[in-house]
Amino acid sequence: MSVAVMTAKPTAKPTPEFRAGGTDLSERRRSGVSQGMLIDISATGDKTITWDADGAARIGALTTIAAIATDARIAAAYPGLAASAQGLATPQVRQVATLGGNLAQRSRCWYFRRADIDCLKKSGSTCPARSGNHLYGVAFDLGPCVAPHPSTMAAALLAYDATITTDRRSGLTIADLLGDGSISHADHTLAAGEMIKSIALPAPLQGERASYKRAISRTYAEWPLAELCARVVIAGGKFELVRLAAGGVAPVPLRLTAAEDQLSGKIANAASIAEAAKAASSGAKPLPMTTYKLDLLQGLVRDVLERLSD
Amino acid sequence: MTTTTINGRPLVLPDDPDALLIDVIRDGGLTGTKLVCGSGVCGACTVLLDGTPVVSCLLPAQAAADKSLTTIEGVGAAGLHPVQKAFMAHDALQCGFCTPGFVVEATAFHDSWRATRGAATPSREEIAAALSGHLCRCGAYEGIYRAVAEACSGRFDGIDPIAPRLEARDKVTGLARYTVDIHHDGQLEGVILRAHVAHARITGLDLAPARAIAGVAAVVPLLDDDNMVRFVGAPIAAVAAKDRRTALQAIAAINFKPEPLPAVIGLDAARRDDAPVVFEKKDRKRAGNVSEGAGGAPVSWKGNVRGPSAPFSQKAKQARSWLDEARQQRNPLLVEQTFRVSTQQHASLEPHAAVARFDGDQLIVHISTQAIHESMEKIAKRYGLPHDKVRVIADHVGGGFGSKGSVGLETIAAIELARAAKAPVRVAFDREEELSVTGYRPAAELKLSLLPSAEGRLKALSLTAQADTGAAVNSLIAGLARLIYPAEAKELVDFDVLSNLPPGAPFRGPGGPPMSFALEQAVDEAALRMKVDPIQLRKLWDPDPNRQRLYDWAAGLDVWKNRKPAASQTGRYRRGVGVATGYWLYLWQTGSSVELAIKGGRIVASCAVQDIGTGTRSVIANTVAKAFDLEPQDVEVRIGRSNLPPGPGSGGSRVTASVVPPTLLAIDKLKAEIKRTASRTPAPGSNAPWREMIAASPDIAVSARRQEDGKPPPGVRPALHEAGIMGRVFGWVLRLMTHMVVGAGVPSSVQVMEVEVDTWLGHVRVLNAYTGLAVGKLAAPTLARSQAAGAVIQGIGYALYESRETDPSSGHVLSGSMEDYRIPGIADMPKLDVHFDEAGFEHVPGGSVGIGEVATVPTSPAIANAIRDAIGVRLTEIPFRPDRLLTALKGRDAA
Repeated sequence: MSVAVMTAKPTAKPTPEFRAGGTDLSERRRSGVSQGMLIDISATGDKTITWDADGAARIGALTTIAAIATDARIAAAYPGLAASAQGLATPQVRQVATLGGNLAQRSRCWYFRRADIDCLKKSGSTCPARSGNHLYGVAFDLGPCVAPHPSTMAAALLAYDATITTDRRSGLTIADLLGDGSISHADHTLAAGEMIKSIALPAPLQGERASYKRAISRTYAEWPLAELCARVVIAGGKFELVRLAAGGVAPVPLRLTAAEDQLSGKIANAASIAEAAKAASSGAKPLPMTTYKLDLLQGLVRDVLERLSD
Repeated sequence: MTTTTINGRPLVLPDDPDALLIDVIRDGGLTGTKLVCGSGVCGACTVLLDGTPVVSCLLPAQAAADKSLTTIEGVGAAGLHPVQKAFMAHDALQCGFCTPGFVVEATAFHDSWRATRGAATPSREEIAAALSGHLCRCGAYEGIYRAVAEACSGRFDGIDPIAPRLEARDKVTGLARYTVDIHHDGQLEGVILRAHVAHARITGLDLAPARAIAGVAAVVPLLDDDNMVRFVGAPIAAVAAKDRRTALQAIAAINFKPEPLPAVIGLDAARRDDAPVVFEKKDRKRAGNVSEGAGGAPVSWKGNVRGPSAPFSQKAKQARSWLDEARQQRNPLLVEQTFRVSTQQHASLEPHAAVARFDGDQLIVHISTQAIHESMEKIAKRYGLPHDKVRVIADHVGGGFGSKGSVGLETIAAIELARAAKAPVRVAFDREEELSVTGYRPAAELKLSLLPSAEGRLKALSLTAQADTGAAVNSLIAGLARLIYPAEAKELVDFDVLSNLPPGAPFRGPGGPPMSFALEQAVDEAALRMKVDPIQLRKLWDPDPNRQRLYDWAAGLDVWKNRKPAASQTGRYRRGVGVATGYWLYLWQTGSSVELAIKGGRIVASCAVQDIGTGTRSVIANTVAKAFDLEPQDVEVRIGRSNLPPGPGSGGSRVTASVVPPTLLAIDKLKAEIKRTASRTPAPGSNAPWREMIAASPDIAVSARRQEDGKPPPGVRPALHEAGIMGRVFGWVLRLMTHMVVGAGVPSSVQVMEVEVDTWLGHVRVLNAYTGLAVGKLAAPTLARSQAAGAVIQGIGYALYESRETDPSSGHVLSGSMEDYRIPGIADMPKLDVHFDEAGFEHVPGGSVGIGEVATVPTSPAIANAIRDAIGVRLTEIPFRPDRLLTALKGRDAA
């Protein structure tokens, strides 16, 4: 526990939490933000990657990020997923952090992660970041809480139309799992005690390519200001399919459908990409301090799609 | 019962599911593994779990069940690993606190690299990616790159390394013990209760409930006698208990009533007329101090604004009138701009920490401190003890950068708790405390006007600095612009703007980097408008002999000669080259003393000085070894104890110039004494006469105090003399009050930076850094280079990444974790060219002056000027984060 916690009000009813790798939870335990019962699932969970006959993968929830980042078959079939895994956190954290844990992790908002400040995610009635310092907040203001969703892997899985199986439900899309951005008290829709078991990805399309980029200030090891996982199928020089999934900009990972639609059927070149990139901020509602994230989003669309259409 | 194997030995793991691996490892006595960030960002706690590097600060202890752990102590257990040897040989470390983590990670990288790639040399990019989960605040990245590359290439297989840093072996093996590692029998853990509101009067403080908790040994109040708290994190009380968890429970049990008062947060709010006042008149003496040694002169103070303080102005009225006239005439050469710098945290990796213990009437305190001798004096005074009853110890200090220069709250709390508990007590700040309440370089708003004359000389300069000092005073930024670029008239005005934020503190060249950030951009802008080469303009305006030589060096660099104008560039990535100048005062401390002795046939040098990563041990050892034709390793250097001859504090870049001269005097004395007491002379024709005589010498000892410098050559004078009579007065006060002397000659730095700007993602990368330094002869050349490199990377952090963030109404520091306070990583380190010009200080015995501060002063404006060169717009506020770059680019494109 940190020194800050001593004056903090105890959270209303500490809820039990699952612990997989512990890379998110241990820090919240030390700071006193998490005080409920702890259920360690690291020894019992599924850590395997399995493939079905048509080339679709099923990834056990306790598979580490490093395992996904370095698996040759994942890199071949789902390069956007592999690149996302390679780009997040640090090498040591990736060795321990799991895919399920990455999806179920809590917000990185600096108000949320201080034990002595109330917020919507901690039984408070307002979002202190909205009226306060939200430099790293959302640019798509979809709900009462202004913290972006922290899961890089969720954005990648959104791009791949992945589905999630829990111990109670199956076939959940990323939107089913994380909501529409209006939930403020939690970072996902999992019921108390509900556990993610596995993640299924559809077989890759013929000729699809994918990539990932995160915009940060340093070279490595930073939570994204904005990030983008993109998949494309280019045939005859034209975009047949474009999937753009952005993270770091909204309370949930977002498909940039306006930009996708605009590119569909267009010639895959820098000019059409630059034009469509402007549509990346379609529907955005930036906060006073986060307009820059829309510029970043536009830059990311250009960066990733230009590389994919090379 | 679950067990793990640690360095080959079985260890029982605790059943507590919340127990973290780092605590199990350290509590077991393996203190090489360091706790720094506690959030998996910095990698200092990295250990191998079945051969894989993991961060033990986040790993549940139970995750190690039935596995094999290797800590830094296990890495070199069977002889040094090639990576350890390479770190030693390449000086890939400074304070050493991050070193165990880096070494553990690098050995894993090395072993897997060698297994698959043989003796190929990994690229910088491959090394940076592998070590991207580690942070070093001293900035030893350059040496780390070289060390890892050469270890992987097999260069260190089997050889015995020669380390330029005396204590390198202890640091790469995890054996170096820092204050946080000290553990006495029966030692208690101390924790401080801190305010969670920004401004309040505390009443009804009741410590009894804390005292009643089992395992609590002492509870002491820490409130000032006015019972006020003036910032979030202000101390209220402290608890010592059997462990940290119990201590935290106890502080939570303390009762008190905060009567909230209106608070004001930050510079903009605090200077409004109706702002709540932080210090009423009667309480002003309670404010902290953000400068080293400055202050003393009475300054007006209204509300939260203390100033104007303008002792270094020169014909201020004339300057104002010329500038007004130029404004009215729309003089195109008049440069006017408002700049902003952000709050920079020291972010030392070893937190502020103290371990206090009473042994009879003797008080023994281990402190992570930059000033052993002075701490001893201050503690003795505070507690009314004779000097010989207080012993301050600091064998190794994990960084300071100015924040550990005085006796801090951690020390006072540890002493008071130890006295009350009658047991040893350790107080070590957590990362949030470290990144909020231990001081910082204040943010500032800098309004600058610069007017060249029609003849192209510098005519008038006006600089007004308003510093965001929190609950502290004494910022000196604008005044420093007097000591460079002589002009016909200068108006230089400093203000402190106080608010309910933690007090600022001295930080590596206090006031220097902000002053340089504004002034060096203005000079650059003037050169652009005058259509002259920026280096040549500086040559014309700045007569300092040291910098004249550095300008010639900079002008000859290929990167400077080949730079391309911004207008010629198109496309996403733009490159630019910028130059800037910096200076610092040459300071030394009177009374600094060194003892040289021969004990058992070996030379022992002693001084109550500390090594905070800067290389003090090596400086002394090199000086002695050279005089006696020995290797530095032959000299035993005893420092880090206050009962040794008084030494200087590590601040103001004064250590080398304070300890080398008396060492030289002592060398002469010792030589005479050896000859006098020798029973026989060395064998005729001996090639190591001193070695033989020392080995045969009886035990003898001599000592010497810092002598005055010799007479400097004409034109070489103390920096303060630029400021005329006020400068001399300032110098006298400094000598009188703080025993610091401003010597003749000006330590100087000229830097050239090449940057690449990604105009899509607002990302700035420094590709190449060239730092020219005139700091005299190098007492320890490899270590001087390490200092220069570290200063550049810290300056890059200041320019590009670092910013303390606060909540504008509650006053909480939000960037209290190392995820949110962003210091540079290894991949952010540019390729570096260091040029030392060793002339200019021949009048200093030994010829060496300090380097730490001057080397970081010009980095941020050099980067700013390079960005201006790359994209054609000038950014005026640091850090140059992507949000600011993109805003500036949009503004440019709209214009």
